[in-house]
Amino acid sequence: MKHHSAQREYWRSLEHLANTPEIQQSASAEFASYEPDGMLSMSSLTRRRFMKLMGASMALAGLSLNGCRRWPEAKLAPYTSTPPNRIPGIPEQYATMMELGGVGSPLLVTSYDGRPIKIEGNPTHPFSETVKGRSGAADAIAQASILEMYDPDRSKAVINRSGGNEIATDWDHFTSAMSSTIDSLTASPGSGLAILCEATASLTTTRLKAALAKRFPTAFYEYEALSRDNERVGIKSALGQPARQVLHLDKAAVVVLLDADPLGAHPAHVRYAGDWVKHRPNKEKETSRVYAIESAMTISGSVADCRMGVRPSRVGAILSAIAAQVGLAAAAASLTAEEEAFIKPLIADLSANSGKSLVAVGPHHPAEMHAMALAINDKIGAIGSTLTLLEEPNADRPHHFDSLADLTKKLKAKQIDTLVILGGNPAYDAPTDLDFAGALKNAKTSIHLSLYDNETSHACTWHVPRAHYLEAWGDARAWDGTVSICQPLIEPLYNGKSSDQMLAFFAGEPETESDAIVRKTFADIDDLAWRRVLNDGLVKDSGFKKVSATINSSAALPAAGGQSGYEVRFLQDSKLYDGRFATSGWLQELPDPLSKIVWDNAVLVSPRDAAGLGVGVGDMLKVTVGGASVEMPAFVLPGQPVGVIGLALGYGRTMGEHIGSDVGVNTYALRTTGAMYFTSAQVTATGAYYDLATTQDHHLFDQLGIQERQARVGEKHKSAEIIREATAAEYKRDPQLFQRNEEGGISLQLYEPPRRFNDPHAWGMAIDLSRCIGCHACVIACQAENNVPIVGRDNVLKSRQMHWIRIDRYFKGDAEDPNPEVVFQPVACQQCENAPCEEVCPVGATTHDTEGLNVMVYNRCVGTRYCSNNCPYKVRRFNYLDWHSQDPRHDKYPKPWLGLPDTQQIETVPMVERMMYNPEVTVRMRGVMEKCTFCIQRIHNTTIAKRARGEELKDGEIMTACQQSCPTQAIVFGDLNDANSKVSKWHQDKRAYSLLDADLNTKPRNRYLAKISNPNDEANG
Amino acid sequence: MASVPTTEFIRIAEQTEGDNTTDDPRFRAPLVTGGKNFAAVTETVANIAERPAPPQAWYVAMGVSLALLGLLGAMVGYLILTGVGVWGNNQPVGWAFGIVNFVFWVGIGHAGTLISAILYLFRQNWRTGINRLAEAMTIFAVICAALFPGIHVGRPWLAYWLFPIPDQMNLWPQFRSPLMWDVFAVGTYATVSLLFWYVGMVPDIATFRDRSKSKIKQVVYGIFALGWNGSSRHWHRYERAYLLLAAIATPLVLSVHSTVSFDMAVSQIPGWHTTVFPPYFVAGAIYGGFAMVIFLVVPARELFGLKDIITKRHMDNMAKITMATSMMVGYSYMTEFFIAGYSGDRNEAFTFHNRALGPYCWSWCVMFFCNVVAPQVLWSKKCRMNMWIMWVVGICGNVGMWFERFEIIPESLTRDFLPSSWHAYWPTWVDLCTLAGSFGLFMTLFLLFCRYLPTVAMAEVKTMLPEAHAHGAHSADEKRTDYRPDEHHDPDTDAPRFANR
Repeated sequence: MKHHSAQREYWRSLEHLANTPEIQQSASAEFASYEPDGMLSMSSLTRRRFMKLMGASMALAGLSLNGCRRWPEAKLAPYTSTPPNRIPGIPEQYATMMELGGVGSPLLVTSYDGRPIKIEGNPTHPFSETVKGRSGAADAIAQASILEMYDPDRSKAVINRSGGNEIATDWDHFTSAMSSTIDSLTASPGSGLAILCEATASLTTTRLKAALAKRFPTAFYEYEALSRDNERVGIKSALGQPARQVLHLDKAAVVVLLDADPLGAHPAHVRYAGDWVKHRPNKEKETSRVYAIESAMTISGSVADCRMGVRPSRVGAILSAIAAQVGLAAAAASLTAEEEAFIKPLIADLSANSGKSLVAVGPHHPAEMHAMALAINDKIGAIGSTLTLLEEPNADRPHHFDSLADLTKKLKAKQIDTLVILGGNPAYDAPTDLDFAGALKNAKTSIHLSLYDNETSHACTWHVPRAHYLEAWGDARAWDGTVSICQPLIEPLYNGKSSDQMLAFFAGEPETESDAIVRKTFADIDDLAWRRVLNDGLVKDSGFKKVSATINSSAALPAAGGQSGYEVRFLQDSKLYDGRFATSGWLQELPDPLSKIVWDNAVLVSPRDAAGLGVGVGDMLKVTVGGASVEMPAFVLPGQPVGVIGLALGYGRTMGEHIGSDVGVNTYALRTTGAMYFTSAQVTATGAYYDLATTQDHHLFDQLGIQERQARVGEKHKSAEIIREATAAEYKRDPQLFQRNEEGGISLQLYEPPRRFNDPHAWGMAIDLSRCIGCHACVIACQAENNVPIVGRDNVLKSRQMHWIRIDRYFKGDAEDPNPEVVFQPVACQQCENAPCEEVCPVGATTHDTEGLNVMVYNRCVGTRYCSNNCPYKVRRFNYLDWHSQDPRHDKYPKPWLGLPDTQQIETVPMVERMMYNPEVTVRMRGVMEKCTFCIQRIHNTTIAKRARGEELKDGEIMTACQQSCPTQAIVFGDLNDANSKVSKWHQDKRAYSLLDADLNTKPRNRYLAKISNPNDEANG
Repeated sequence: MASVPTTEFIRIAEQTEGDNTTDDPRFRAPLVTGGKNFAAVTETVANIAERPAPPQAWYVAMGVSLALLGLLGAMVGYLILTGVGVWGNNQPVGWAFGIVNFVFWVGIGHAGTLISAILYLFRQNWRTGINRLAEAMTIFAVICAALFPGIHVGRPWLAYWLFPIPDQMNLWPQFRSPLMWDVFAVGTYATVSLLFWYVGMVPDIATFRDRSKSKIKQVVYGIFALGWNGSSRHWHRYERAYLLLAAIATPLVLSVHSTVSFDMAVSQIPGWHTTVFPPYFVAGAIYGGFAMVIFLVVPARELFGLKDIITKRHMDNMAKITMATSMMVGYSYMTEFFIAGYSGDRNEAFTFHNRALGPYCWSWCVMFFCNVVAPQVLWSKKCRMNMWIMWVVGICGNVGMWFERFEIIPESLTRDFLPSSWHAYWPTWVDLCTLAGSFGLFMTLFLLFCRYLPTVAMAEVKTMLPEAHAHGAHSADEKRTDYRPDEHHDPDTDAPRFANR
């Protein structure tokens, strides 16, 4: 042991212990036989060794398959000076507002490293908040506008068409070209400048208009294809001054809707839906009763307790009858027996609930009806309690339709040399008899500021790309007039200019940047307060003032129109609005709440009319109005009034870019100044057929299937397997109703589950069927949050749509029933504790976590689709093709040869679209199954942060995207371990039931609360 | 081909003009007709491979088969490059043609193993004439079947994750999934069937080797003959091995299709979740397999002059098994309907109501006619003896069994629990071409087999000849021609070892 060095205490082997020189040498080298230099030194390289090395490296290069791949070169650049408050990877939220039809929706936009990725409602604004200060709702259109901003089809250059051909140029060029126009206008104003705007309540726009009018004579026109001006004019005539009515559905025990759709198609529908639900089944208040008398199937009508479908021409008569019966001096119109029967209990309810009831008329009915409705509201004590009248700005503004007609007349008379069109698309959506596009040619210079180089742009001499509302500053007012600042979240992607910038340029304002222009409008707000305004997203107490005036109750209605034949009713589209959102793939693929049609519009006909015409879904109909006609597929919609043809506007765009062109049929072709909303028409079947893509009930069910579906769904207002429901009266009589109806469920278990999936949380969800109005805001919220792709019409036809949450819509009642009940049931992954999907996955790509989530491991999934087969709820979605890089318009545009994609995977997605992806959620490749995860990324973001701070998680701190966007808070998510959480309470509610659980023992973590409706037995035949 | 009619039996056979289908209780019917002796059997079978050119019909069939095989290659390539979306599968219908074809082809394989293993253990000596063909059919059908699970997944390049391969990610397949059981069941089945087929073929390949005149053939057949020299020791080892493999293969006949049926039975979709599936699938598979054997053998015995070895008696027996299994299948259909109604389960009842009267009623009718009605003609001996009718029944069996899987797999998925998710299923052109292409693969392999390998188990057939048992003046034995290959006379007692008469 004398060789043993003093420090060494451990030995590797006996040789090491003996410490021979060889061992000393080899022990000193870490990798004894590894000599990288020796291996490659050519002098010592034998032929055999060379072959060995080469063989090994070739094999390695071949094995990875990446050895020969050329990776794209990319550069990384750090900030030289970091923007303030920016922490990489931490999303920020900004309040802003989106203006549509002159009314703003308050929004909160999430931005990730400078890229806006998600739009939600502003939680501090009374017109979007759902949970005070914590969550706000936004409708599907507002949420989908993020896609519009990133749309690579948006116009990117100023286009000069004055010379007959298209010259792409830029803003500087445009301004220098315009300077001569401005000079000549300043020198000799002549007829001056004409400006056609979209409806707007922006204070900045108002300020700039004034400044412009001061510089040289300027005529302002305003046009919206879907205008609410009838209401404005009607109220003005009854009140003597213009006013805006704000409904308080939360205070109304009885609501009478005459073609009004406050929950679906009103500018304030998010707020109204939230108000409405406060008077639905709950502990504090009796369930309200909504009567809907309507000439179309609307969201409000489908959740109404008593509904009657009528011809549009009958609505006035019914309103008169109501007026007469509540004691107004109106001519009592003669009603049909059915109408009489419906009105009688309605009147009784109205008089029993004086001061707690409300009558509303749809915006498409003539002004006189609005005046009469106001008189009725006055009579029943609504004004001041369930209805507030507010001052309306721009009191003397002419009706939108008159304004456009006036402009067209002047254009035709060549009285206008220079016309600036700010937004809008009148060449597409103006009444056909005006021939606006033709008239436009008479203006020497016409400038169209627009997001897209669209139909109107092509008819103008100049097109200027517009900045999206997320790209430029602006301001707008909510329905009650509260002012909000539109904050941009990103520099204009395509060098667009806002409409304010355009006005400021013509007004000769010194400010050219949108922030300075807007700030000037609010110069009286100091900088500190300004920051507060931006943070909150609204200017406090800036709403319109209340109006108190006496109401002239002697309104008379114009004579009702023709009664025989078909009547056409033009409809605001639930997704594309007036057609301006046709370029949005998300909205095109969003199912219509009632018909479930995607990527198309159709002739909505009642089942009885369809039988009369001898057509079914998809059979082409020719609808002729006056001299014009369109051919469109029929859609047989239960609940559609007999004799009424519903035609959604906004389709058939010719210049809607790649997504929006040639989708559906342009129904504006039938719309004339004399009949903007209703008219009579001839309808004939052509014998042709067109396959309408719907996300539900696709391919006409055979009689067997229809019978079975109705049996599973149940009779009107009766519980059945899938849908449990009762009337408010039944439920009050017997609150244990739903527990007792439970069939003997199988609670037996072969073995105790290994875990209870509640460590440390037990995530659960509950959905109240009484609250869901089927608005589909949750579908878009989920799509944006979870990078859900669209698949296009041809793949929806094959039932491959990818939405993680769907709204199942069922009609209840006989096939002949003119007023069927509608039930909406949102279905996403039920997160079963006994998940059938998990047991059958051969690779364990879907498993349970300890908190009860059924999680998907995308990169483990090989795509056997067994999980989807075994899922009784069919909520799993499979990437049959590479949806993100696929062209969704394959049905219209030629595919690549055999549909082979040029390159696989996301590389084909435009960079700008990739900016929109939520970086917290994997973008799934083809061949992978996906599904709702209860927004696991949101759960973990919050729980990790809470754990790091050592705080307890409070109920409501985590919200799933669908829950957050729900205007009626029909969806509740939370921790079932917390007995006081809202979701625990809902799970214990007497109305709670689990879907299909009695049959299959899946133990879903999601429960439904049975639907409670409040029909009046006398009114509902 | 001059043979010497020495035995009394042959005389009887000649009297009945080659008809060995009569059941005269005094005699066992001959299993080889035409008065063939050992040499003639070898000559007949080996001639198929040795003649310079196969019949014209072979070229035609091969041309068609290769074209279809090429189509299959193109379809699979297209599928892998583009995605499963080129098929018609959709949201409720996750499995359609891919799995239908898989189950169909696995089912076809069953007749081969049944004939080679179960009939062997049950001493059904008539199997010797057709077992080789049937086993080959099994192997090729399993190859076709194995293709589909691999390509039907969304990411075929990762399909190997279904195998329990140790990897650095420490990921292991999920053993509760019936798809995993499939991997093992089909894998075992393919291995055992291949071994069984090959082991049985070794003596015959040796015969080919010995008769080959070209060097290449001698070497190739030589390699596969494993040095067989026909010694008693080789025969002894061979027969033990064959018996063992038969014993191993026998449970597989029942287990494979039972396991395949678990893919459906273990899930909870109405129409899938049925306990009758394992026996029902096995019966169906045997039915389908025999239908396929009939479909192949009818032209093969015509084309290759095998009528004396695959005799009418063989066809008769197969027809009877086909009819028996068809009635088992029919019984299963009835059971399913009865249970669906009797269970009181609304979803289950509707599925079967919908199956017979819903939008896919036509396919149910095709299935029922082909599987239950058409085989009933086989009650008549006239029909059993008419090869055209037999062939048509064989086709019916294949078509019917394919539609049975179509009825069960995609059709049940089209309408399950929530009516909102109901959606029809229709195949695309790629689906149809892939199905056609799989027949191309099968037929190509089968035609190559016919041309280059012993299509009949010569060694086994020879043991059925009277000569194999001519041990002195045992006139009773001489009349027998249905000896088992392992049946020998004990030289001491001079009595057959397995005498059980």
